[in-house]
Amino acid sequence: MATRRSFLKSVALAGAGILGSGALSSSERLWAVTGRDPGDPEVPNEEVARILKSLFGDRPIRRGHLSLDMPAVAEDGRIVPVIIESPLPMKPDNYVKAVHLIVDHNPDPHLAAYHLTPAIGSVAIQTRIKMKRTTWVRAILETSTGDVWAEYAHVNVSLNGCG
Amino acid sequence: MTIGDARIRIPDRIARGDLITVNAIVVHPMDTGFFRTAEGQPIPAYFIRDVVVTYGDERVARFEWTSGVSKDPIVSFTLVADKEAPLAMVWTDSKGGVYRQSVTVAFTAA
Repeated sequence: MATRRSFLKSVALAGAGILGSGALSSSERLWAVTGRDPGDPEVPNEEVARILKSLFGDRPIRRGHLSLDMPAVAEDGRIVPVIIESPLPMKPDNYVKAVHLIVDHNPDPHLAAYHLTPAIGSVAIQTRIKMKRTTWVRAILETSTGDVWAEYAHVNVSLNGCG
Repeated sequence: MTIGDARIRIPDRIARGDLITVNAIVVHPMDTGFFRTAEGQPIPAYFIRDVVVTYGDERVARFEWTSGVSKDPIVSFTLVADKEAPLAMVWTDSKGGVYRQSVTVAFTAA
């Protein structure tokens, strides 16, 4: 971790230099706005940022209230198991109405959307997905009352499963 | 197994009100459009894009998929078994293929 920290620190310093120079790509601008490391899952790339904006507008995407279980290392990117669970209620007046699965560096990052109703009773979704390369995966749910909750997983992919 | 063959599995014994787990699989290549054959011909995208789950008369879930879901897609989810009724799923693919399967939720005598 010490190595990673010092690396991130040096990246941050380099970023500060770019900021000062006024030559900013949009991903760097995004980073400048959020003030986070590029490696942080909460800093989406441009395409993912666009997807998040179209799904959730300006609502905050906070971490919590769900779990995303995936292997830390996926040897075969063609078949990567995913388990998404949440303890949030599924009552008629307050339920999880959708769960979105986003894989940052896949050709089509918005991989799946699961639209649910109270009749489903709980959020416990399992599936298998394809992954092109090592990246962050985002599971983001939206409640019927408009709250947005997320959890992230970093998956190392050995074999490209997307072609 | 041919494209569109599907299976839905629910528990053998269900009591009214149980939260049951539903497992479903459909046979489908889920081609991304990025792969080529051994002869170098591109394989066009061909995948399930929509899944509708109906319990009795009620649409209880709908899934939107892309070719990022693995070949022969599986999905599992839960259901509140509060009535004896068919549980039906309809998968629709990117070429308009429609595949259906259903099971009946019935309660075992206590």
